[in-house]
Amino acid sequence: MTASTALDTRMPPPRAPRRRRLTRTALRRRLAPYVFILPFIAIFALFSVYPMIFTLRLSFTDWRGTGAATWVGLDNYAYLLTNPGFWSSLGNSAVMWLLIVPAQVVIGLLAAVLLNNAKLRMRGFYRTAFIVPFVTPLVAIAQIWIVVFDQNYGPVNDLLGVLGLPGIGWLTTSEWAKPTLALLFLWKTTGFAIIILLSGLQSIDSTLYEAAELDGASRRRQLWSITVPLVRRTLMFLVVLQTLAVFQMFAEPYVVTKGGPYSSTTTAGLYLYNHITRADLGTGAANSFLLVILVMALSLLFVRLLRAKD
Amino acid sequence: MTTAMHGSKVEATDDTGAPPQDTANVAQAGRPAASARRRRPRRELPQFGSQVLLMLLTLAFLAPVAWAVVSAFKPAVEIIRDPLGFDPTRFTTDNFVAMFSDVPLASGFVNTAIVLVLKGAITMFFAPLAGYAFAKYDFPGKNMLFGTVLLTLMLPTIVLIIPLLLEMKEFGWVNTYQALILPGSVDAFAIFWMRQVISAVPDELLDAARVDGCGEFGIFWRIVVPVIRPGLAGLAVLTVMNIYNDFVWPVVVTTSDTMQTLQVVLSTLAQNISGNTIGADYATITGELLAASSVALVPLLIIFILLQKHFINGILAGSVKG
Repeated sequence: MTASTALDTRMPPPRAPRRRRLTRTALRRRLAPYVFILPFIAIFALFSVYPMIFTLRLSFTDWRGTGAATWVGLDNYAYLLTNPGFWSSLGNSAVMWLLIVPAQVVIGLLAAVLLNNAKLRMRGFYRTAFIVPFVTPLVAIAQIWIVVFDQNYGPVNDLLGVLGLPGIGWLTTSEWAKPTLALLFLWKTTGFAIIILLSGLQSIDSTLYEAAELDGASRRRQLWSITVPLVRRTLMFLVVLQTLAVFQMFAEPYVVTKGGPYSSTTTAGLYLYNHITRADLGTGAANSFLLVILVMALSLLFVRLLRAKD
Repeated sequence: MTTAMHGSKVEATDDTGAPPQDTANVAQAGRPAASARRRRPRRELPQFGSQVLLMLLTLAFLAPVAWAVVSAFKPAVEIIRDPLGFDPTRFTTDNFVAMFSDVPLASGFVNTAIVLVLKGAITMFFAPLAGYAFAKYDFPGKNMLFGTVLLTLMLPTIVLIIPLLLEMKEFGWVNTYQALILPGSVDAFAIFWMRQVISAVPDELLDAARVDGCGEFGIFWRIVVPVIRPGLAGLAVLTVMNIYNDFVWPVVVTTSDTMQTLQVVLSTLAQNISGNTIGADYATITGELLAASSVALVPLLIIFILLQKHFINGILAGSVKG
């Protein structure tokens, strides 16, 4: 829009031959975006939109993977909404969210503020070190987690033993399995959060800090009055992104705990997957749309909350 | 009193870069501390305290990986008998040898490499192109289309697996490279991100090229692509990472050993181990598992360390600014 007006004003009143060229470029320009998105549209329609619509239709049917699907209307949704298993999976994910997101925001912001100091020595080293967990394959890390937090032979309990503390059933007791899994998620994604927050910090005008300095504002005051408000949009982006990730979390509990012990790590994503493995595809589809509605509502809520003061 | 109290944690560590002065601060508090603070420029962040905190964080981030890689070289029995023991003279490659004879890791690497190159090329060309259209053109249906893109970002990807698998069966693509490569090759996140990056390119630059007679694709190729190079490098590393690490879809769509990607091989090994189909004792299993995990994460770490500057700058270029 702005681009086209800018072009129009720049063009002199054209002579006859130029007008034809102009209309041709104008036409090309109008067609260009369609050509550019066509390959994407093809792949997107075939492998994302079509399966999505298929899943939506599936959510109103009872289908076990073979034979004809029977239309059941909203039965799948009603079944889930009255099923304690569904609610406890959401509860598990909510607890995971509480264990992960606030800690990540605090650690991420702290580390990003420290890294944002141009005079800091070994900045490059830290940035690289922090992002290492983020690039490691989840399957490999999950295996490492299983070994590291093993109740009998793991190094963590070995370390506790050295300190004279009793060993803990990190992955085998329902009270510890969730925090241990949350730690895996936190460990794997906090480096990414740090970099995202760092990008937000780097866009803050440094003269603001200089002015605050002149006014005698303490460093802590500067953090609360300048850094946090100005980095709010980046924080919002991060919180929404992580909320999506936590409520869809599937691979971590699937590989590490299989949802146990006593369903304590059956997250919303894993609960949904369990319908699929039981070939209860209609219910699985309905479950996924309920999850989408929840995640969308949460995203909007965070966008509201974090924008409120503007 | 208040000066000594406020920011006790941050500012006490603040000055420890100069130890004698610091002890004086802590001991006497009040005025000496204030004057010492005045002498040094306040903009300088607490170097020593920062270093300690960041080092602790680094330790937490690197320890599990370091422990796994080091332990993979220990004799299997010692990994579980003395998990924290460290004796380089007893290092061995036994775990690796045993693991390679038990699992088809080499063919997993080849398959992953094939998928990586082809799928990566598709993503790296078509995602910026579509992102460019979304960022710099107006066309009917644009907002609705972009809304759909965002919606698929929110949909848990596992639910698409069933319809996708049925589609693959329909196409006769089960257990083929097409099935590993095409779905998700231009994914919603890449589009979303490229739109973000390309939006930051000034319109004046594009208009100037247009006035000079540059075609629409020429503008993309010769103006936009060079300008967004950091963002592209970021996308490249993220894409490599996602493809290399993906395992749910490959597990579902591959049915033979020869088509399995590296992560599928690894997760199969893990399953065999938890079901103990290898028929070995816990120590041997743990050793093989750690060896396999180390082998799987090393290539990506090397790629990452070589490209880390581009990657981090890419994320810095691409994400939402405050």
